[in-house]
Amino acid sequence: DAKEWRAWNIHVEGYPNTVAMDKFAELVKDKTGGSLEITNYHGGVLGNQPDAIEQVRIGALEVGNFNLGPMGTVIPETNVVSLPFIFKDLPHMHRVLGSEAGEVIKQGMMEKGLVPLAWYDSGARSFYNSKKPITQPSDVSGMKIRVMNNELFTGMVGALGGDGSPMAFSEVYQALKTGVVDGAENNWPSFESTGHFEVAGYYSLTQHLIIPECVCISKTAWDTLSDAEKKAVEEAAVESATLQQELWAKRSEQSKQKVIDSGVNYNEIADKAAFQDAMKPVYAKYIEANPAQADLIAKMQAVE
Amino acid sequence: MADKDDGGGAAGAAGDDGGEQGTVARLSRAVTLVNDFLATVCMNLAGIGLVILTVIFGWLVFGRYVLNSTPTWVEQISLLLVVFIAFLGASAGIQEKTHLNVDVMTMRMPRRIKAFLHAVVYLTLAGFGIFLAVYGFKLVQFKWGSLIPLIGWSEGIRVLPLFFGGVLITLFSLGHLLAMSRSGWDKITGIEPDELGD
Amino acid sequence: MGLALLLGLFALGVLIGLPVAFCLGVAAVITVAYEGLPLVIAVQRLVSGISMFSLLAIPFFIFAGELMFHGGIAGHLVRFASSLVGRVRGGLGVVNVFSSMLFGGISGSAVADVSALGSILIPVMKEKGYSDDYAVNVTVTSSIAGIMIPPSHNMILFAVAAGGGISISKLFLAGVVPGVIMCVCLALAAYVVAVRRGYKSEPFPGMRNLFIHAVVALPGLFTAVIIVGGVLSGIFTVTESGAFGAIYAAVVTLIGYRTLTYEKFKTAVIRSVRTTAMVMILVACASLYAYMLTFYRVPSQMIDFMMGISENPIAILLMINLMLIVLGMIMDMAALILICTPIFLPVVMAIGMDPIQFGMVLMMNLGLGLCTPPVGACLFVGCAIGKVRMEKTVKTIWPFYAAILAALLLTTFVPAVSLTLPNLWQ
Ligand code: NA
Ligand code: NA
Repeated sequence: DAKEWRAWNIHVEGYPNTVAMDKFAELVKDKTGGSLEITNYHGGVLGNQPDAIEQVRIGALEVGNFNLGPMGTVIPETNVVSLPFIFKDLPHMHRVLGSEAGEVIKQGMMEKGLVPLAWYDSGARSFYNSKKPITQPSDVSGMKIRVMNNELFTGMVGALGGDGSPMAFSEVYQALKTGVVDGAENNWPSFESTGHFEVAGYYSLTQHLIIPECVCISKTAWDTLSDAEKKAVEEAAVESATLQQELWAKRSEQSKQKVIDSGVNYNEIADKAAFQDAMKPVYAKYIEANPAQADLIAKMQAVE
Repeated sequence: MADKDDGGGAAGAAGDDGGEQGTVARLSRAVTLVNDFLATVCMNLAGIGLVILTVIFGWLVFGRYVLNSTPTWVEQISLLLVVFIAFLGASAGIQEKTHLNVDVMTMRMPRRIKAFLHAVVYLTLAGFGIFLAVYGFKLVQFKWGSLIPLIGWSEGIRVLPLFFGGVLITLFSLGHLLAMSRSGWDKITGIEPDELGD
Repeated sequence: MGLALLLGLFALGVLIGLPVAFCLGVAAVITVAYEGLPLVIAVQRLVSGISMFSLLAIPFFIFAGELMFHGGIAGHLVRFASSLVGRVRGGLGVVNVFSSMLFGGISGSAVADVSALGSILIPVMKEKGYSDDYAVNVTVTSSIAGIMIPPSHNMILFAVAAGGGISISKLFLAGVVPGVIMCVCLALAAYVVAVRRGYKSEPFPGMRNLFIHAVVALPGLFTAVIIVGGVLSGIFTVTESGAFGAIYAAVVTLIGYRTLTYEKFKTAVIRSVRTTAMVMILVACASLYAYMLTFYRVPSQMIDFMMGISENPIAILLMINLMLIVLGMIMDMAALILICTPIFLPVVMAIGMDPIQFGMVLMMNLGLGLCTPPVGACLFVGCAIGKVRMEKTVKTIWPFYAAILAALLLTTFVPAVSLTLPNLWQ
């Protein structure tokens, strides 16, 4: 009889990842001739990402659509994608993940019980704030910027001369509106859907973080599949990723347009190298703390 | 507290099972004494936790506005403290009988059935405590290698209060059971009404 | 079968007198085992349920309220209210309601409100010839103001149970108007009953004394200004404002009123820990329970079920209100917020209700549940303080229930009652 799997996804109905995960479930059913059925639990109803990662590792869940950012505390190899400016742009990220460096990251995930099958996009994160356009590193100086919970991000803002302040995501809108923080950083769709653009009028395309997402299968569940089933599931994941990337690009463009139409002041960065240079102490500190990853970082940087 | 009668079996009533009765009663009294002490320690530790929680949040605001540098550890430590306060306080609540329960049905029952149901309640609580201790410990082990962002401590620390809470809940529930075997039925919720929360 | 186990074991636990939090926990753990899911996941849900940033404000609100209570602020508020509104017939009844409204800005809990104000006002009312059932009824029903008027930790529980998408500041603002409307209805009920029973008014103490009482009460009332104002003005986040409120409460009672001794401070801390732990263990177990409800897809099935009965929004809202009232009669507020929000919120959103408005309906409805037999924490505490049997008070409580129901219907069917303030501020 058919195997029944459960999949975790944090995004809401209609979001590119949600549509793609539904497609994934549909494709898996087709390709396995109905021997494997996946039920999606969207909207993070089964817990936040760290919890869901744990559930997949333990085998309480079989599938997860995870962002690699918060994975670093569990799987050290995945933390490298959170190094500011490690990827030049989205295509570069995919080239790196397809290279030998990508294999090292995958291997790290496999060792912790996650089988990554395909990569989803989550765009590029850039700074936005309520004060002024950021064109050079010194513009960040003195700003309080909300960042995600990771030393690399507080370190990044610190290296630019600002105050990197971790804060619960749910508090950010209020904090921006009232000046508890001056700015935050995120991709276009999040900047738009959270309404942060209503309270932070300057979006500067620093693209300092380009963090991939993955469709991961629990190792224990994966091992119960026949080779034919494995092949089917992997194909389904890759096809769903193609769809996700298309939808993501479209969604990103829509959000950007909507935000700019609403009067947000948007600027690109002419001299990105100045920002990258400012990150040298962040990298040095990271490599000092994680010497085992020096080689991986070098491999990533070597990819054209 | 459960320890209301000081007479009874403790003096070692005459009869064939008198010696055993006396032993159980003495044991029960000792257990109650130890458990009361443990519960007081829990409450005081949790109280200190609450004061620390308040002070470090004051420090967070001070850091953001006066020092212009937000302390990044406050949030994470606070989340650990809340779990600590919750499970220590909740365990002590079993000993101090401050948890809310519904006794509309049991209220009107004959004493013997009531005593039986209360024994079932304490056994269930003890079972839940054992579950928390055993699987709490397993989760501590599983999480031990992961790190809490920004403070770099092990994620396992977050679950430790559940393990300790489980051990304490088991001890306290079994202590109450023992006390029941000595003095018969007693109320599960024995608090003053104005100490109820909602 | 699994779902029946989940619901049945919970009901069984409640019936045999297992504390409610553990009913949820035990039922869910057994169901997890029944489904063959790894049991460590149950522990994970318990921890994660309370490792949430937005919940951090709860111990602070509770702590601030306890400090203010043990620091003696309740008495000053009552004196101020008495000199302000004591002149009407049945004066102390109206004073009682008005004090609850003021104290609601300090305390986030209805039970704290009953014990703080009840222990001052009920003896005074009895001494002045008010019957004990009247004194208890007014105290108990008006205590719901503690939940409606910000700050309110139950509203934070609602925001958390709703999945974190609802702004707590908006919820706080939204509670003000329904809270005040409810208090006005209750004051009317208190007045009418007092007139029929022939209760007297309080003498006006004179402008000078009114002024003095106001000035003395002011630093206490300022806690509300700090917490709510701090959030709205953006000086603090919700959590920070709670912490700052607690620090302020300690300072003002220690240095300002000079009524906070070390012993009283310690009492306040221990009582705060007790309440916090009770709320948090409930949140932890409810979050595990909700995980299993989600596992069985109960929330989405609930929408189909309710829509299957009727698609008329008015009928659905009345139905939900009725269910909440019945549930509120037999169960505790915090547990119901945590369980009912994920189930009913999608339903009301499907018929176009704003989640913030639903929050207000939920609060007032479950608040009413705190005042009804057989299970009503406020009623229990009120009766204990008034030394009166529950059966006796309940016989004459109907006018007050009617007042709350009137406010509840208004809040349910007039969105503007809840939404005007938060929209204005935005
Ligand atoms: Na309040
Ligand atoms: Na009152």
